[in-house]
Amino acid sequence: MLLQIADRLQDNSIIVALTSTGWTAAGLAILHYYSMFVLVGSMAIVDLRVLGVVGYGYSVGDFSRRMFPWVWISLAVNLVSGFIMFAGDATAYVPTHSFQLKLLVVLVATILSMIVQWRILRWEQTTVLPAGAKILAAISLLFWVGSILMGVEVPAISGIG
Amino acid sequence: MIGYSLIPFGHWLQNRGFALAIADSGWAYPFVQATHFSGISLWLGTNFAVDVSLLGFGNKRQTPAQLSDALFVWNWLGFALAVLGGLLLFSVSAETFVINPAFLVKLGILIPAALITHIVIQCKIHSWGKEPQVTAAGKRAGSLELLLWFCVATAAVLIPYGPLVF
Repeated sequence: MLLQIADRLQDNSIIVALTSTGWTAAGLAILHYYSMFVLVGSMAIVDLRVLGVVGYGYSVGDFSRRMFPWVWISLAVNLVSGFIMFAGDATAYVPTHSFQLKLLVVLVATILSMIVQWRILRWEQTTVLPAGAKILAAISLLFWVGSILMGVEVPAISGIG
Repeated sequence: MIGYSLIPFGHWLQNRGFALAIADSGWAYPFVQATHFSGISLWLGTNFAVDVSLLGFGNKRQTPAQLSDALFVWNWLGFALAVLGGLLLFSVSAETFVINPAFLVKLGILIPAALITHIVIQCKIHSWGKEPQVTAAGKRAGSLELLLWFCVATAAVLIPYGPLVF
């Protein structure tokens, strides 16, 4: 079932046009990498602030309001470019376990970021951040670094990408 | 091409013990790549935050100068990680990298230009960005740095295409 959808997606004329031309394929890769750097870097700043190791003189609310718009914009660019890159070789990616694991790690990291953003509204009311906040930020940071690691492991393990 | 004169150095470097150990290991190369990418993320993420604040985006409670000071240590820590990972990746295939036009443009022109712009911004930000309203020079410098690091990322992605596009 999934392979049939992947097969159709791969043969879509727009996807073929975008992924089979050298310059458009390179353009997608540039967007995907650059947005990943901004995404992970921006989220790392928020997590490190919650952990209390960056910008200690400034509130977590100030840092998060500054960084989260870039987190979500870069995630959107990353997802769109990543989806088109995936679609170009969908039948190879779908059954690949390392790729499935990468998607799972990115999904968990994204959910953790949403929880951090939601909880910050409450945390900024307190003078001392609770231990749970720091644990959540540390796990979020770990998952974002993990998403980078999984991103490089997919071609290393499967030879795809 | 200038890169061809560096081939003997590349050959020497990629036959060092540490380079051979990374190349021969089944798991080390992706971990070194992840170190490089994590460093770049921290470096670019912190640069991006300061540059867009120079352009007037984001909340105004912190001035760009305050933000730059707050992120300073992590900014350069990210750079150090990126350089460490990058040197190790380079050493594994140094002979190929030194004759790759995209790599030479990235390392010889774009990174020095972006790095100089970054250092100038860090030195001048206390006069350009001490108030929420940034001077025109600060805005120009912020735009230039954003553009230059985007070009660095572009050249890096083009490395595998290097011999084809130039």
